[in-house]
Amino acid sequence: MNNPIIRRELVGVLRNWRTAAAEIIFTMTLIGVVLLRWPTNAQVSLSGRQAQEMLRLFGYAFMTAMILIVPAFSAVSIVREKQAGTLALILNTPLSPWSVFSGKVAAISGVIALLMGLSVPAAAACYAMGGVSLRVQIEPLYLLLALASLEYTVVGLYISTRSNRIDAALRSTYATVFALVALTVIPQEFAQGRLTGLPAQVCQWLAAFSPLPAILQVFGQSGVTHAGNMSAGSAVLRYVVVSIVVILWGTRATLQRLNSGLFDRPRSAGTITDESSGGVQAYRRVMYLWFFDPQRRSRLIGPLTNPVMVKEFRTSRFGRSHWMMRMIGACLIVSLALMLAAARGSEVVNTRTMGAILVILQSALIIIMTPGLAGGLIAGEIESGSWQLLRMTPLSARSIVLGKLLSVGRTLLLLLLATLPGYAVMLVIDPNEKTQVVEALVSLVIMAVFALLASAAISSFSRRAATATATAYGFLAVLCAGTLLAWLGRGSLFGFTLVDWILRLNPVAATLAAIHAPGFGHYGLIPLTWWIMAYGCGLAVVVLVLRTWRLTRPQ
Amino acid sequence: MNGEYVVQTENLTKKYGEFTALDGLTIQLEKGKILGFIGPNGAGKTTTIKILVGMALPTAGWAKITGIDCSTRSREIKKLVGFMPDTFGGYDNMRVHEYLDFFGAAFAIPRAKRQKRVDEALETTGATAMRDLFVESLSHGMKQRVAIARTLLHEPPVLILDEPANGLDPTARVEMRHILLNLAAMGKTLIVTSHILPELARICNMVAIITGGKLRAFGTLDQIMHDVREKRMIEVQLAAREDVAKAAATLTAVLGPQAQVQESLAEGMVRFTTTQNDAALVRILAALVDAKIAVAQFRDVPQNLEDAFLSVTQAAQAPGKADGEKIAAGGGRA
Repeated sequence: MNNPIIRRELVGVLRNWRTAAAEIIFTMTLIGVVLLRWPTNAQVSLSGRQAQEMLRLFGYAFMTAMILIVPAFSAVSIVREKQAGTLALILNTPLSPWSVFSGKVAAISGVIALLMGLSVPAAAACYAMGGVSLRVQIEPLYLLLALASLEYTVVGLYISTRSNRIDAALRSTYATVFALVALTVIPQEFAQGRLTGLPAQVCQWLAAFSPLPAILQVFGQSGVTHAGNMSAGSAVLRYVVVSIVVILWGTRATLQRLNSGLFDRPRSAGTITDESSGGVQAYRRVMYLWFFDPQRRSRLIGPLTNPVMVKEFRTSRFGRSHWMMRMIGACLIVSLALMLAAARGSEVVNTRTMGAILVILQSALIIIMTPGLAGGLIAGEIESGSWQLLRMTPLSARSIVLGKLLSVGRTLLLLLLATLPGYAVMLVIDPNEKTQVVEALVSLVIMAVFALLASAAISSFSRRAATATATAYGFLAVLCAGTLLAWLGRGSLFGFTLVDWILRLNPVAATLAAIHAPGFGHYGLIPLTWWIMAYGCGLAVVVLVLRTWRLTRPQ
Repeated sequence: MNGEYVVQTENLTKKYGEFTALDGLTIQLEKGKILGFIGPNGAGKTTTIKILVGMALPTAGWAKITGIDCSTRSREIKKLVGFMPDTFGGYDNMRVHEYLDFFGAAFAIPRAKRQKRVDEALETTGATAMRDLFVESLSHGMKQRVAIARTLLHEPPVLILDEPANGLDPTARVEMRHILLNLAAMGKTLIVTSHILPELARICNMVAIITGGKLRAFGTLDQIMHDVREKRMIEVQLAAREDVAKAAATLTAVLGPQAQVQESLAEGMVRFTTTQNDAALVRILAALVDAKIAVAQFRDVPQNLEDAFLSVTQAAQAPGKADGEKIAAGGGRA
């Protein structure tokens, strides 16, 4: 504890009531998971099957919690200090960048270690049932989760040094962690047993960026969607190697950025294309197709336009037209590439599988983008002090809320529309999928609206954008990923009816069920999930309107 | 409009539970005047401002701007008041003209007029050169100018500025002073809070001193200075430093043992405070001369707004002072 950063960070975090709440929820969840499957009679399976299943569920729940909790601490750690001006003070002390970095890593690791300590009784319960190996399963599981936590801590800190806004840091970190955990597994998952040689090796090493294959191997499973034998080679070893490489790279990159150079940036010169030379104007007009030039002098807000909506577009990075076009272009290319792969290589993949991947990517886009865009809608204004300026304008609470919701809603709609060509190609390949595609699209739209309204409602309760954004991410992740834990334990731990009931709360599961994705085709989630989401939207609207009205009325 | 007053408050009171943030504030302000609203931290300035701009409701009393009640018609008040809070309230990735365009649109200024209004506001505040800069890249002084430009967009008759000179360098402070005086010359009525009292003294026609939620002094600067001058400080510059002790003893003998006499050997000076009038001062000077002390200067140290403020706040804290007693009152009208 000689490092003052550790003392300040760790004590500060542990004193926070939110940390205590997270610890309690975490412990209760793990206890709940174990109790749910604890034998109700005096009989225990001699094969240890029940204990194995319980350990798997415990492991997945633990990993989900780590993925949710670690970025919330690491992503904001440096960017918050940058904004408050305390990072400049710290860098002006004799503390080396290593001391600052190691202090922050140690503090976050301390919280994670505490959570791991709290999880020990649940793991011990699995062990006590018999049939679970301490050396082969429990210890490697803890090692993998500790390594994953350290990796995401370092990645989060690096992103934090690169970000200037807390919401952007959170969004980027959650997106990166999601990509590392889930996206890297997709090529191997769908090409397993079908590819050989170098392509198979590439897929395996790409999957080694995710802890999932390693954890599956520890549990004696081969894939997410089906049980079976262990995959060839040691996934655990590969993950250990890759994560250590990522940690070392992240440490070096973060240390290189942790110096006064962070603040050595010139002020923007406010360059405007309209006032540049003829050559520059012509070049930029061609390159940015005129309308998308970020340096173009913007036009005045129109008479029939909600000024708050335009303001949100102008202040949000993804609201700016050139960034929006980049995002739309990327979505368009990915969706078409997936369908092209489906059309050309029917042996390896089929349209239904590609549809499932498309749905997963769109859902991920919604879950990653929406809290980042909507989590700070109200809280960000309150935090920056601009809320009282808005209150001083004749704008009604309704106009303010509507403008804010429309700005995020339009961005999400454009992104979803950009992925439609993929479905169009899918229908050309297999016209019989029309009903499934329509249901999947309806589910996606409902999911986007629900995510938007829920994030905005959460935002209205907080005075800090980071808290609101992290809470919105946590809520959506628990809803969309947490409930999938029941699906992972389907058949063995949980019966069909219980899984079906739990999945009704999950809009991602509903969309996957609509497209008849592998493992989801048997669940009848539609239209019940739509109704549940619609009621959720209604509740979020009521909460949002009431909170905004309360925030705009005189004290 | 009620009479000639643009801003009026009557017995304005605000309580948060048991805590009284504002206690019976009564002030009036005429068109084109600048009111310096001063008080220590937590005195009730921000509460008063919040009520005036319609962001808080009074527990008792009323506040009006151009005759319109601030609590019952807060929507109309927003169009009458330009409010600059102590925080800038900027947005990232936004240029200055976009920022002002947004607030212009929020105040429903028609598009055809908005560009002109933005240009005029920037010109009035000397911020025209900043129109294409990003708001977050502005220096503190630049932000203050843009913030004032923002308050001018909808052409309100009353401007309420919370700490406009806070954190500005001397040059920017002088420029800010000129901006505020120009606004008053344009017929705007200004309420300005500041902790930089010498700066405030240079621009204000009226001063209100508030402590503990109560109005302690209100009037023109001259009235305040006159009323708070309960004690005068006299400076006696001696020709010879060795006379300092003798002069101090003489003054103590004349003024009595309770007198506050300060010796400064380094300066060759003696200072004392007194409530006595000019005739008494003549007798004190004569006593020094009679004691064969060579007096180079004998002068009344001029008091400024800072002294007046300290005098008022200290008197308010003094035991035995009636809780609601106003120490200086300049008639309550401007």
